[in-house]
Amino acid sequence: MRKDDVIVIGGGLSGLIAAAASAKRGKKVTLLSFGMGTMTIGSGIIDILGYDNNAAIVSNPESGVKMVDEDHPYHKIGLQAVKNSVEFFLNLCREEMYPYIGNLNEMKWIPTAAGTLKPTCLVPKTIDPDQLKVSDQIYIVGFHGLKDYYAELVVKNLKVSLGMDRKYEIVMIDHNFSGGRDVTVLDIARWLDSEDGRAKCIQQLKNKIKPDSVVLMPPILGTTPDYLVLDELAKATGCQLIETMTVPPSLSGLRLRSMLINCLKKLGVRMIEKANVIKSILEEGKCIAVVTDGIDRERTYYAQNFILATGGIYGGGLISSALGEIKEPIFNIPIQVSVAQENWSNLKLFSNKKQPFAKIGVDVDNKMRPLDMQGEVLIENVFVVGRNLQGYDFCFEKSGNGVALASGYQAAMSV
Amino acid sequence: MKKHHNDPDRCIACSACVAQCPVTKATPHFRGPKMVGPALERMRLSQEDVEPTLEYCSNCKNCDMACPSGVPISTLNMLARAKYYKKHKHSLRDDVLAHGERMGKLTKALPAGAFFANLGMNIGRNLGVMRMVGISDKRPLPSYAAESFHKQFKKIRQQSFPNKVVFYPGCFVNFNDPKVGLDFLAVMQANQYEVIVEEEFVCCGSPMLVNGYLDEVEQNAKTNTRLLKKWVDQGYKVITCCTSCGLMLKQEYQELFEIDGLQENAKNIYDASEFLMLLYDEGKLNTNFGSISGKYLYHAPCHLRAQGFGLPAMELLRDVAGVNIENADAGCCGVSGNYGFKADKYDTAMEIGGKLFGTIKNSGVKTVVSECGTCRMQINHGANVDTVHPLTILRNVYEAKK
Repeated sequence: MRKDDVIVIGGGLSGLIAAAASAKRGKKVTLLSFGMGTMTIGSGIIDILGYDNNAAIVSNPESGVKMVDEDHPYHKIGLQAVKNSVEFFLNLCREEMYPYIGNLNEMKWIPTAAGTLKPTCLVPKTIDPDQLKVSDQIYIVGFHGLKDYYAELVVKNLKVSLGMDRKYEIVMIDHNFSGGRDVTVLDIARWLDSEDGRAKCIQQLKNKIKPDSVVLMPPILGTTPDYLVLDELAKATGCQLIETMTVPPSLSGLRLRSMLINCLKKLGVRMIEKANVIKSILEEGKCIAVVTDGIDRERTYYAQNFILATGGIYGGGLISSALGEIKEPIFNIPIQVSVAQENWSNLKLFSNKKQPFAKIGVDVDNKMRPLDMQGEVLIENVFVVGRNLQGYDFCFEKSGNGVALASGYQAAMSV
Repeated sequence: MKKHHNDPDRCIACSACVAQCPVTKATPHFRGPKMVGPALERMRLSQEDVEPTLEYCSNCKNCDMACPSGVPISTLNMLARAKYYKKHKHSLRDDVLAHGERMGKLTKALPAGAFFANLGMNIGRNLGVMRMVGISDKRPLPSYAAESFHKQFKKIRQQSFPNKVVFYPGCFVNFNDPKVGLDFLAVMQANQYEVIVEEEFVCCGSPMLVNGYLDEVEQNAKTNTRLLKKWVDQGYKVITCCTSCGLMLKQEYQELFEIDGLQENAKNIYDASEFLMLLYDEGKLNTNFGSISGKYLYHAPCHLRAQGFGLPAMELLRDVAGVNIENADAGCCGVSGNYGFKADKYDTAMEIGGKLFGTIKNSGVKTVVSECGTCRMQINHGANVDTVHPLTILRNVYEAKK
């Protein structure tokens, strides 16, 4: 019978990090994934912590991590492990030739597609907000036919967020997309993957912008996890280029996913697609296997350890019944729901309080092992990571990928 | 209870399918799986709606694999295509490409039929007849074997064993590439299994489905389901070497039709390498391997990846049989059954396969290994290398010991 050291269930950021960190420790890893996870929607930038419980901005991510409540995943993981996970991630990106920038002591304020700024911690070089400082001349690049990116809106809000004293100018680029369908950032990024597309784009940019300026654009600087397009366009125009976050498909998310998948391949991780894990097999308090349910039949996968990265309520990792019960279907981990269902959400979506529904999840010990209602470890060789964890509202506090990274890493250190 | 629901409302419009769709990447004319599949399906449920770019979907199933919500996007597209052809006429081209089995049977009915069919296809190609009906003349069509698998199988005296499996060869193995079937037979015999061939099996229907002949697919599905059930009820496992046949028999039948026995049959249908790896897990695989020289690259057919059990042929050849083989891992080859044979889809198919062809050329290997017959033809055409089925390699490894 084949048996892995570690089986990771779920191919989102926390699962990919857990798989990479486990494999880096020499473990034999299988990744069971069903669908692409949320990396096409997720930004691919790593927020660690932006706002405290009262919606006040924290001075830097590290001080934010220090002040979280006891039930917050960061509290369980501990500051040192969070620091180690950041170090691990930055090293991994460097090794994969797609270095990220940032550190725990500095809050980065990056521009969104609406021209507002949001706090984050680790970003790819295409989203380096320090470049906003180099010039007062800011060009906002738009593309004809591109959906959901409005240069005028970006300018309007940048005037508020960056100040009226700077010079904003909109530049429209024509990429001659002839198919007749709606154009997405993915189409434009693919255009810039090609030498011909880059040459045409550079030609148009050079006619419309002055060197030594700041150029803000949607996320279009190539589809692959490298800086080839960024470097070539920056060199040719003599400008600092910055990508903004936009609606899906998220190029920065897709690039990070590609980078991590490439890394897992090199590390020899076995990846099984369309593997829908439905249950586990337990013996004497330990999990010995998990079972997938294909349209044809069930299949059993054996391992020493299991990392559960199935994405919480949104990702299908936790299931809520009509009666307000929440279930974790694979290991039957009990989920404590202390708030009555009618109070799961605040009346105001963007209120200054965390959403109760967002904080519902699995309680774990400091190794990420699930706890029962009495606070005892439920299954000693199962580790729960990412959005399945209780005690945090990533939208509110800006901690999503940070918790995914830190918990995925922590689980890998525990197996 | 039926496991599958063709429910477009499970789509959350995350666009993972758009990001992974090889056709969307290769041509700006396709509006993409999210729009053409679940988004328009909601419209089609209430009123008739013809989406002109629906014809671009190749049913490769990369969208289904990407979808985090389990929406069978490609099957929604195939159902919409079938609906379209309820009221529109098929072209001669689609008729020819969808009915390879009919042509295959014809070549077997006439003396030297395969020779004349192949000759006719070549002459037709050179005279521009193929292009006139809309079949690409830039690539060879699958040639017919002089003797079908069925006919060759009958001449072979198998060693009898108590363990028996039923083999579903599929049209490509039966009419075009019988060697794969013979190699399967040799491998099973080496593992002390006797192979039963059910001659009444008909085409799984995959080539007809992609051309919108849903009623005919259903007829074939009923015939095959009845025959499969006969064997499954007696406790036999059914094995196929063709990943598209496997996907069709197990999954697409269940997504498309309500026929008694589908689910029970699906439980007992296996990919050949998957079956052998299960034997290995139980310690029952014959591991008396010799060693073969040479370096190989493996291409995983999309229709294998969509089945959700990984890449058993890679594990079998590399990890168990010690073959020097690597996974090309370069995505869809582009051909998608008969899609790449269509004159107006040829360029798209070749564009999609470009990454794989480049990977193969850079690797320097002379032989690429893949389960799917049309993937092998596409690789042979696009990368100019030899192609074989994994079981051919496995047979060679066994025979290297003798």
